[in-house]
Amino acid sequence: MTPPDFNALSDEEFRAEARAFFARHYPPHLRYIVRRARLAEMKQWYLTLSKHGWIAPNWPREYGGMGLATAKMIILLEEQEQYGVSRVPDHGIVQVGPILMKYGSAEQKNYYLPKILAGEHIWGQGYSEPNAGSDLASLVTSAVPDGDDFIVNGQKIWTTLAHDSTHIYLLARTSKEGKKQEGISFLLVDAQSPGITIRPIRNIAGHEEFCEVFFENVRVPQANLVGGLNKGWTVAKALLAFERVNIGSPRRPQYALKRLAQLARAKGLFSDPGFVDKFTALRLDLEDLGSLYARYVDVVKRGEELGQEVSMLKIWAMESWQRLTDLLLETAQEYGGMPGELNIDGAEVDVLSPFYYARPGTIYGGSSEIQRNILAKYVLKLPS
Amino acid sequence: MSAHSPDRAFANDDVRMLRDSVIDFVKRGTDIKRVRRLRGTQPGFERAVWRQMAEFGWLGILVPEQYGGLGLGCTEMAIVAAGTASALTPEPLTAAAVLAGGAIARGDNEALKRELLEALVAGSLIPALAWQERAGSLDTAAVATRAEPFEAAFKLNGSKNFVAGAAGADGFTVSAQTRDGLALYWVPADTNGLTLELQPLADGRATGVVRLSDVIVPEEHVIASPACAAAALQAALDTTLVMASAEMFGVMGRALDMSVDYMKTRVQFGKPIGSFQALAHRAVDLHIQRELSSAVLDDAVALFDSAAAPARLSAMASRVKARCSEAGLRITREAIQIHGAIGFTDEYDAGLYLKRAMTLSAWLGNAALHRRRYAALAAVDAE
Repeated sequence: MTPPDFNALSDEEFRAEARAFFARHYPPHLRYIVRRARLAEMKQWYLTLSKHGWIAPNWPREYGGMGLATAKMIILLEEQEQYGVSRVPDHGIVQVGPILMKYGSAEQKNYYLPKILAGEHIWGQGYSEPNAGSDLASLVTSAVPDGDDFIVNGQKIWTTLAHDSTHIYLLARTSKEGKKQEGISFLLVDAQSPGITIRPIRNIAGHEEFCEVFFENVRVPQANLVGGLNKGWTVAKALLAFERVNIGSPRRPQYALKRLAQLARAKGLFSDPGFVDKFTALRLDLEDLGSLYARYVDVVKRGEELGQEVSMLKIWAMESWQRLTDLLLETAQEYGGMPGELNIDGAEVDVLSPFYYARPGTIYGGSSEIQRNILAKYVLKLPS
Repeated sequence: MSAHSPDRAFANDDVRMLRDSVIDFVKRGTDIKRVRRLRGTQPGFERAVWRQMAEFGWLGILVPEQYGGLGLGCTEMAIVAAGTASALTPEPLTAAAVLAGGAIARGDNEALKRELLEALVAGSLIPALAWQERAGSLDTAAVATRAEPFEAAFKLNGSKNFVAGAAGADGFTVSAQTRDGLALYWVPADTNGLTLELQPLADGRATGVVRLSDVIVPEEHVIASPACAAAALQAALDTTLVMASAEMFGVMGRALDMSVDYMKTRVQFGKPIGSFQALAHRAVDLHIQRELSSAVLDDAVALFDSAAAPARLSAMASRVKARCSEAGLRITREAIQIHGAIGFTDEYDAGLYLKRAMTLSAWLGNAALHRRRYAALAAVDAE
């Protein structure tokens, strides 16, 4: 079905619509989970979103998306956060879809996009390797042409929900000539292909959310190349400006702040000036992040290019988030070493999950150190 | 581009002229040599420069048009405050035109308002606000100074501390308790019974202690009656917190630019020191603090130029003063470290910026104090 034109609604009408939609359809037992939900839990919700045309808010309407303008996109994310709605396995929606719309062939678009919308194809990201983390361009997983195929050999790691994925989008080395960024290609791989082994990795929170993926003489049709041979780096870097801003949104740390406030209230800590001082400093770190975030959102709303300076949003958002969860642990006292949902002085709080899930925030999507390198080089123009 | 940046594009011609005047003043109207020369002198600034500021219209930015001002807003005032502070200008612009002038403009004595504000805008009268008594207290009502009815006038007794812009002030706006509540009085500097003692500030300027001993104030010099004095004083203070933050923003910006430039040119171990990651990341963290300050300042001036409720304005004022004080102190402190030994010398400018940041941070409440005030003003949402 063709989704309605949500942009025709006023912002407030759309907000009410989104709120009502979540209240009507979202499974109550999945509200406010901190970990990354698995496909089995989220499948029904994925299909519900799909059925009502809400699965791809960022896609244009001609591709079956909601075609939301930026302001409405932000409202949707706010309402999602407010109601405690978890992410579906959304790499197909967030990454593969927009990449195919920009770089894919007509056949690729016609084949893959409807299947992403329908929840038939779930995508995992094959970028990082054991020896190519922050220095991603050093990746060595190879794709060698052979007839109509490439033969892929190598290993990918930190592939989120690979064990739930039907497909993997891959950066592979297709040339060893010239700059290392210029010998990389972007491939679409069926995860059922012979020669692929997926092994989940347990994270420190105890969940198996990311995986390592081994490729042993895996045949990938050359028709699955996106954006041309040796152009994969350009394709991978063409992230939507909005995504770069979204990762610096204050929403996630605000959630941790609420948990901390809930715990502090139960323990009567708002009459303890020592606690209030620490709490308020962190609270203002988030309030001020909100001001900085809004400034970049305005840039995107005006349709202007974002510069490299947007990196600072991610640094401040993620590091503030970590400081908050540090204080959550400290405030929980003895409970700060206990996993699971706890009853602390009458407050139901999971102390460790927010703490654990704040850790990788300064690692994924370019570590805080890499972001600082970017700011030093491109914004402060410091010599290297 | 941020609202308080002089580079921002404005639709309005008046505002564009204002912006140009700031750029021109910072480039040519003042320099660090003058700032150094005026350090520790009295009154510590130049009347000629003050008159120039009047000609630019800066003294009347926040003064309503019916009193000879430009009737503009905090957006415009912040441009001037940040711009002049970035050059360490010692003239008491914020203290006189925002704090003292702001209290006068919110009073309920039309005749006096007209007289004082027109003179302020013209540059012929420099007022200072004498309200605070105890360090670390921003409670406008916590005042021991009393005003007793005396014949057809009032008799004031008490002592005021931390009076910004007191050196060279032609008169003081004094807060005092009466039987009916807080009121504001106009006391010319040469009034019998008023004594002024100057205390040096770290940055070479001075602050004042104003003592009032049986000072007689005629009824026509009541600036604000108890009906409006507390609100007038609070609004002037909150606006000044935003402008002091804008000044801090100007100071931190220049100090960080100096530091980053130095990192590009200073060579050790055969390389510019800015190529060392430990220093580069340090500079990035300072840059993030500057950008956070800038974003909050933008939001603050926008809120102050809207019709927001006083409680929201107070919370916002504390938010911006907390961020800018903390960021300004940190950036200027680290500027010394980035420069190394030369940064610790009096002849190098980094120290001047640190000292201005220290006095701006301490003025009207530092970051720690304003975080507490914010916590008291803005309820926590723990749902």
